Order: sequence, then C-alpha cells, then structure tokens
Amino acid sequence: MARLELVDITKHYKQGAETVKAVDGVSLSFESGDFASVVGRSGSGKTTLLDVAGLLLRPTSGRVVIGSDDTGRLSDSRLAELRGRRIGFVFQEYNLLPALDLLANVMLPLRYTRANGDGRRRALELLDAVGLADRARHRPGELSGGQQQRGAIARALINQPDVILLDEPTGAVDSDTAAELMTLLETLNSESGVTVILVTHDAELASRTKRQIRLKDGRVLSDEALVPAALTAVG
Amino acid sequence: MHGMEILRNLARRRLRTTLTVSGIVIGIFAFTVMGGVAEHVNAILAGGVTYEGSSINVRAAGDGRSLLTLQQVAALRAVPGVEMVTPSITVAAGGPSRFASPDDIIQSADPGVNRYSAFHLSLVAGREVMPDEHGVVALGTQVAQDLNAHLGDTVYLPIRPKQPAPSFTNHPFTVVGLYSRTRTEPDAFAWVGLSDAQRALQATFPVAIRDKIDASTLVQSATVYGPKGAAITRLDKLADRINKTFPAMHADRPSDIVSQFKTGGEIFSLIAVGAALLALVIGGLSVVNTMLMAITERTREIGLKRAVGARTRHIVREVVTESAVIGLIGGLAGYSLGLIAATVLNSTLASAAGGEIFYITPLLTGISIGLAVALGAFAGLIPSWRAARLDPVTALRSQ
Repeated sequence: MARLELVDITKHYKQGAETVKAVDGVSLSFESGDFASVVGRSGSGKTTLLDVAGLLLRPTSGRVVIGSDDTGRLSDSRLAELRGRRIGFVFQEYNLLPALDLLANVMLPLRYTRANGDGRRRALELLDAVGLADRARHRPGELSGGQQQRGAIARALINQPDVILLDEPTGAVDSDTAAELMTLLETLNSESGVTVILVTHDAELASRTKRQIRLKDGRVLSDEALVPAALTAVG
Repeated sequence: MHGMEILRNLARRRLRTTLTVSGIVIGIFAFTVMGGVAEHVNAILAGGVTYEGSSINVRAAGDGRSLLTLQQVAALRAVPGVEMVTPSITVAAGGPSRFASPDDIIQSADPGVNRYSAFHLSLVAGREVMPDEHGVVALGTQVAQDLNAHLGDTVYLPIRPKQPAPSFTNHPFTVVGLYSRTRTEPDAFAWVGLSDAQRALQATFPVAIRDKIDASTLVQSATVYGPKGAAITRLDKLADRINKTFPAMHADRPSDIVSQFKTGGEIFSLIAVGAALLALVIGGLSVVNTMLMAITERTREIGLKRAVGARTRHIVREVVTESAVIGLIGGLAGYSLGLIAATVLNSTLASAAGGEIFYITPLLTGISIGLAVALGAFAGLIPSWRAARLDPVTALRSQ
C-alpha cells in the first residue's frame, strides 16, 4: 500500500474572468521510505501540489489517499486531525512559535492530537537525533536559522507521520547549513523509513534525493529515479 | 495552552497589553469599590428585613406623630396570636451624620425579644440592659466607637452637639454591655431602660409643652411578636387582626415593610454597580480590540497550528483563554486596588462615617474577579472565531 497517493489532482483558481490551473491532472504515488523532490519554475504548481498533498488545500477534483484513508469526503475537522497525526510539515520560514522553548515547539502537534506514549521523551529523543538536545530550553530567538529548521524537522516527526512535506526548507539558510539539513533528512529517511517529499528550487539539493518529479504548468513533466551521486562518481 | 506561553505572548506587546489590562483594572476597581458600598447598604437592609420580617410595628393611627400609652401597649397582649409585646422608643442620640449608615439612636431595651425575633444580638462584653433599669446603657459598635466607650465607662447621652441649644441636656450612663458588630442598624443603638428612654423622648418635645406632659406613661410605638419562627404571612394576618381590634392603633404589615427594604436595596445596588459595569464594558471592548490585533500579528502562527492539527475548537479555546487571562490579570489588579482603597477609606473615614462604608464580602470578591475573567473570555469570542476561520494556506504564507 502506498503511503501517499495523489489521484488525478486538479486545483483551479478563479482570477477575475479567467481560471488558473495551478495543478492540472497530477497523479503520483509515494511509497514508504521514498525520498522525493518536486522541482520546477515559479508558478509550476509545486507549492499548490504540496498543500493539496498535505491536506491544507482541497483539490478541485481528484483524491488524496494516505495509507488506506481516502480524504476526499472528510470534514475540515477530520482533515486537521489527519494532518496532525499522519503528516509532518517543514516550511521555509521555520515557523517556530516564539513564545515556546524548542522542546515545547517540538511537542506542539501533540497538543492537538490524541497521541499515545510519552511525548516529552520522544521530543527529547528527536532533538537529540537532530543534534539539538542541549538547546531544548532555548527559545527560537536564541537559535540560528539552521538550528531552528532542525527544530522544525524534529517537530514534523513528533507524531511519527507517514510522510513529511518540506516546502523550500533551505530557502532561508546559507548553503553550508542547507547541506547539513539535507544530510539530516537523508539520515532520518534511511533510519526511520519516513517518506520525505521536498519542494525546492535548489537543483543541487534536489539531486541528493532519490526521486525527482519535475512540474511544468501544473503537470508532471518527468518523474525519475535518481542515481546517488556517489555511484555516478564511481561510474 | 501553557500559562507561560500566554504570558510571553502578552509580553510581546507590553505597552498594548498594559493599556488593555488597565481598562479592566479601572472597571473592576470601580466595581469593587461601588460594590463595597452596595454590600454595606445591603447588609443594613438585610438586617432590617430579618428584623422587620419577624415582628409587627404598632403605632398610633393617623399621621404617626401621636404617641401610645402603656395601657394601649398592654392591651395588645390580649390579641389572639400575640406572644410578646414590648414598648419601643427611638430617639436620636446625636453624634456625627453618616453616609450610607444610620445615625446613632437611643433605643429602649428589652432583651426578652431575642426569644421571638429572628434577628439576634450577641454581646462581646458585659450584659444586657433590662427595661426597668436606670442609668445604664449597652452599646452597639458604632455608638461605642463614637463615644470611645469601654465597659464600665460613664458616657453622656444624647451626645452633645458642637453648638448645643440652650435647653440641651444629657445624662450620665454606665456602660454595662457592648454588642458585637451586626453590620446593620443595631450597631447604631444605645440600649437604655424604659424610663431613661422616656426621659430622652420628653427632651424632644417642644419646649412650650415639654414640662406639661408626663412622658412616663407614653411610648412611640409597640413591637408585637407572634410565635417564634412564625411565617411572615401569619404575622401579616396578626397585623390585620390588631388593626381590626384597635382602630386607634395601626399595625404595619411586615411584608409591606420588607418589600420597601428590598426595593430600596435593589435600586441602590443598581445605581451603584451600574456605573461601574459601564466602565467594565469599556474595558472589555479594549480587550476585543487587542485580541483582534494580536490575531492579525500572529496569523502565521495560527496557520502553523492549523497545519499541525489544530481544529476550530482548539484555536477558539486558545484565543479565549488568552483573553480570559487578560481579564484575570486586570481583575486581580483592579480588585486589589479596590480592596486597598476600601480599607484605607474605611479606616480614615471610620470616625466621620461611624464605621465602615465599604463592605468587601467574599461574594463581592468572587463576583469581581469572576466578572473580569468572564468579560475577558467573552471579549475573546469574536477574535477567536475570526482566528479559527483563517485559511491555513493563506495564513501560513502571510507576512
């Protein structure tokens, strides 16, 4: 069973008299452990596709299936619950709450979902996994951009989601930090098997994923497996 | 939502939060102070209701200025249903005029009424005065304070005014008893024997006739008691029976007197507290404004919360809780300031006002703080609904 399946997704917007087709008939399937990037020029529909996949946006037509749950007929409340339990988000602008320390930020999704187990212990483990165990009591204003983004990644994983969606996660950090974040994502993907879908402008970062989906004008232009850079270097 | 998170969010805009909280502080301060006056008046009236509701006041029929004879008083004892009759004289005792408190009174004593009246007096020192005693007095707390009197002291009643009339006289009394605070009229009573009360009554007669009337056979009214614990409707019927039997006398129906007390109390409370509530509503509007601004500033945070699973009820709950905390902070501060002001005013004005003017009851405390929290929470409803309806995608990408 696919972890996440997008079935013939379209998303249209009305702009005055015109209809803009942000996503136009996209069907994609993501398995457990997939590490995919979605690339394309501005306006290609990458972010809209991510929002639909993350249940933040209802498609004009088509279905989003997470595991065995067809989300098409769910209420807004059920969608929110599903988002909290099965999807992790990482945004370009970190979006950590300034009034909470890092540990509380990582635990934020637990506030809204009926999670089992010791959330605090899991949050501390995640902070350790992302190298921020010693920063648990720091507020976001006391952390660097890279640290905040690593904290956001830990938050995205707190509920052991089926998939994490990242929208330009390295857009607000320098290139060295961006490379560190990608290494972290690679490690988490390989160790935990979480499905990672990454929207990015950065071709170099996209080349580090295992699958690259290229969009143009709301449609899939290509969807190809990538050979790891180490193997091509050897070849 | 964590308490620290709320406080940190409020601290992000310190000046705005301070101004908003100040609106609630002012409103609750006014509510506490005015409520304290209303509670003081209500306590007096409540005592009156209890007292008047368990006895029947009988006076001479007509304009009420005529007096009763002791013979008429004695005749009342024969009316079926009457358990006890006591002659009553109430004369001004002098002393300072007060706001929202009764003036000092010389009252004829009859401790026997305690067996029948629902209103009981208790002593903190000494003993009661009996009707046939002379030259002794038992004091309520207000009079004792005005006279600075203690057990065993000699006091002079009526209290000499600053500029007494040429005919003014007063007489010495030994203080044999001190009553505990009742927060109602008896605090202002100086209880004396019947003959001393009659002498004080005679001193109020016009000078031209003062020495021509023998006050030793006269009283102003009689207080009639039915069986102990009798319902007010039963006493009303007894009053009707007295009126039918003695046309020269008039018995007031207790329910009429009680009704007047209650109406007076309600009107006073309405006026006193109504003004304060207006200030509070204005404070509440500032909370609405503040929370609307906060939601605009925290649009992305709300979008994030929606993205990680928050539903409408979560967002509403968080905004309303933060708003209620603003109310709580303002309520505690306003109540504290009101309590301090009431305490200071009570002590500085005690001698002029004859005791406390402001009565900060546990009920008033609970209502003051509860009202502030409820107002804050209510003020958060509109902003919370607006926050909950934010589109998460738009919210997340807002600047």
